[in-house]
Amino acid sequence: MENVLNEKESLDLIGQMINTAKKNLQKGTGKIFLLWGYLLAGISLCTFILLVYLPRETGYYAYFLWFLMAFGYPFHYWLVKKMRNERLVKTYIEKLMTWVWIGLIVSILVVVFGMLIDTVLVYQFTKDMKVGNDFIRWFQWIFLTPFLLCLYGFALFVSGKAYEFKPLVIGGIICFMASFFLILSVHKTGTLSFQQLVLCLSAVVGFVIPGHMLNRKERRDV
Amino acid sequence: MFKELDPLLHSQLRLAVISILIGSEEADFVFIKEKTNATAGNLSVQIEKLREAGYISVEKAFRGKMPRTTCRITKEGIQAFEKYVAALNSYLKPK
Repeated sequence: MENVLNEKESLDLIGQMINTAKKNLQKGTGKIFLLWGYLLAGISLCTFILLVYLPRETGYYAYFLWFLMAFGYPFHYWLVKKMRNERLVKTYIEKLMTWVWIGLIVSILVVVFGMLIDTVLVYQFTKDMKVGNDFIRWFQWIFLTPFLLCLYGFALFVSGKAYEFKPLVIGGIICFMASFFLILSVHKTGTLSFQQLVLCLSAVVGFVIPGHMLNRKERRDV
Repeated sequence: MFKELDPLLHSQLRLAVISILIGSEEADFVFIKEKTNATAGNLSVQIEKLREAGYISVEKAFRGKMPRTTCRITKEGIQAFEKYVAALNSYLKPK
């Protein structure tokens, strides 16, 4: 049963086989984008509405809605487990992309929780809060949304380039532009609620639309 | 001088298997079978030969309800493959 090859045939065979798995996009990836996309869009939209309607002094309560993001995790875990059971091949690109996204989540958690702890500690222990201090602590939060937007724009952009899937690349570029635009408009009144609205739109462009397109592509490729 | 070609790799199916595994982190038996158009029996025999030589590692496990055989290339396998390609090149471009 063993065919003996000549040298040319050997090289042709290697060339043919080595790339078989290269562009394989794991079935189920689209659903993960949709899960986080809709969650992100929904929460930012609700935060936007609350920020507009809550009185100014208690407006920051709206941000507690973001803790709801944690509820996405059980669903994410379930989707990934299902993908793992069905997976026939794991490429190096997939391995790399998994770690890019995990690195992104860690970066977001480090920044958000670092700032939260700092803010809470200062309010707890600094009895003589000066107006200047207060302003600086408020001002650092205003850059959080553009920063996070830029960060996940980066992950979308890299994923799109790695999988050669254009909608993700475009989503990433739009997140970059939105982030830049938000940084330029931090001094405008109403900027905090406006940030949430932009975040919602970027979630639709960066996650929801590419997610649906991925789903359709998966169905077509099978 | 011609280098000697590794007889373990100088066979159509085994070379195909190693080439697939060079390009991916891990691959399922079903995936390799599909891509090489081999019969299950022949493929198992060749995979076992590669495993015995230490070129690949084979893991059999249940994923969900399905039994799965997952193959990965080892460091020795990568080295052997690189040597094989270098030897091929010396045949094609003799000095």
